[in-house]
Amino acid sequence: MKHLTVIPAYIWAFSCTLIILFTFMGNPFLAKKLATLPFMKVNPVFSGGDITRSYSQDSLVITVYKPVFESLIGSSNHGFVQVKLAGVNQLPQIIHCTIDYDADSKADFCLNINTASNETKLESLNPLVTAINVSSRVKNYWVVRVNLEKNTRR
Amino acid sequence: MEIKSDYSTTGNLRKTLLMMIPMLLLTFLFISGGKPDFSNKVNVFAFLLTFLFFNWLFFMILFTGKTNRYRKTGFIVLALFFSFTFILNLIQMRGSMTFSDNNLLSCEIPFCHIVSTMVIIPAVVTKTIIFPGRINEGFASISSMLVIITGISVAVGRGFCSWGCFYGGWDDGCSGILAKPLIKKVNPVFKWMPFAVLLIVALSAAVTLSPTYCMWLCPFKTITEYQKVTNLEVLFQTIIFLILFAGLVLVLPILTKKRIQCATFCPMGALLSFTNKVNIFGLGIDKDKCNNCLNCTKVCPTFSITAKDVEKGKSDFTCTKCGKCIDACSKKAIHYHIKGTPVNKNHSLNRILFLMPSFTLLLIFTGRPLLNGIELIIKLITTGSLI
Repeated sequence: MKHLTVIPAYIWAFSCTLIILFTFMGNPFLAKKLATLPFMKVNPVFSGGDITRSYSQDSLVITVYKPVFESLIGSSNHGFVQVKLAGVNQLPQIIHCTIDYDADSKADFCLNINTASNETKLESLNPLVTAINVSSRVKNYWVVRVNLEKNTRR
Repeated sequence: MEIKSDYSTTGNLRKTLLMMIPMLLLTFLFISGGKPDFSNKVNVFAFLLTFLFFNWLFFMILFTGKTNRYRKTGFIVLALFFSFTFILNLIQMRGSMTFSDNNLLSCEIPFCHIVSTMVIIPAVVTKTIIFPGRINEGFASISSMLVIITGISVAVGRGFCSWGCFYGGWDDGCSGILAKPLIKKVNPVFKWMPFAVLLIVALSAAVTLSPTYCMWLCPFKTITEYQKVTNLEVLFQTIIFLILFAGLVLVLPILTKKRIQCATFCPMGALLSFTNKVNIFGLGIDKDKCNNCLNCTKVCPTFSITAKDVEKGKSDFTCTKCGKCIDACSKKAIHYHIKGTPVNKNHSLNRILFLMPSFTLLLIFTGRPLLNGIELIIKLITTGSLI
């Protein structure tokens, strides 16, 4: 009976070297396959979420993301909306824009950004818009995350 | 009396050289990345030095029959050269070791193996990965690292902590500085701490949807990368990880001669301990040879052998398979063991079968950083600049 486990055990032990070799040599292939699985996407808390619309305003191309109210189960009452601001040609030093993040044709907040001094001012036009979460240059565009409260009355 | 099977290489030059052949080929393959660059003298010199270093290590492990001393040498080299080349790469790319909002927003933070302890629950529940990294492109992408962690877990279990982890060499090295420990008694109950840390960070990461260990606790940010201090919260986090690095990775390992960070704090070690349960390799104790001196329990750097384990004839499931107890046993009663086979037979074959995947792992993780590190050191000596 003992011999029954000995041979498979040695075969398995020998194959461990092959597993290590396959893991590293086949890594590009395996990683590509793994990346296609449904859970392999960065959480919106980090990625900013999905893009809802993109439009031009003055010399800016404004991209508005879907508001993020992530929590482990259900959704949180506190979240943010990400806005990406790119220059038509290059990023202007002073950016002034109004954003309607929920597409109800009413402006929700105004942003005043000095890209040279990294200064960002938020003017809230909607009680659900609370504060600046983060505002930073990313490559040749600017990203702002604005904190939101969830509209529980809807 | 030592049982010598036909596979014993100890003191046998012919057999050692024969067993070296696959490692010579693997060393060439993994150091060169399949495309050797011999375009200038520096590359050739760095390649030769790296190639000879690994083959000398493997030769000595086989020929002397001692595992830990040579493993440890390679492991410390891995830790030092990984940090050295990683930091220099960051400085070349970003201008500093710190990352900023810019790097976080563009999701370009390298995925470290320890993060996997925190992404599992959110991946199951929210079907997303709670880390600002790249899914499948660039250096240390999320999918690439998850594949590596899975493969290693299957092949060597928690052996990763002594043969492949690019952080472990720091406290392993520090634990070997003093000849005798200044703090002689550390309660082995602390070996359960990593499981508590694992539970806390896995749950807190799931609740907050953020990698809490990376943000608040990871001491190895000191020798890799950390967030630029722009507010009080980040300043507080910085103070915490610096204190933890000094305490758990430097001071306590020196004073206790134990790998305190790995044995009492690392959540990845706890997670990999579970993979040890199903991994084919373990340590077996031949009770006929053992004289119960319990020297193994004293030298084990991770509290993975207790008197109870000696009685049971095997190491605990937290064992990192470093081989220190095997080298220290004067009765040669402890051996690498393949589960499902008799404890008192085929020690040499079992040892070689374990050494092949584990040393290959050390080679893969250390090879390129060592090669690049040597090239950079030569550059520093000849040009006075690293960048």
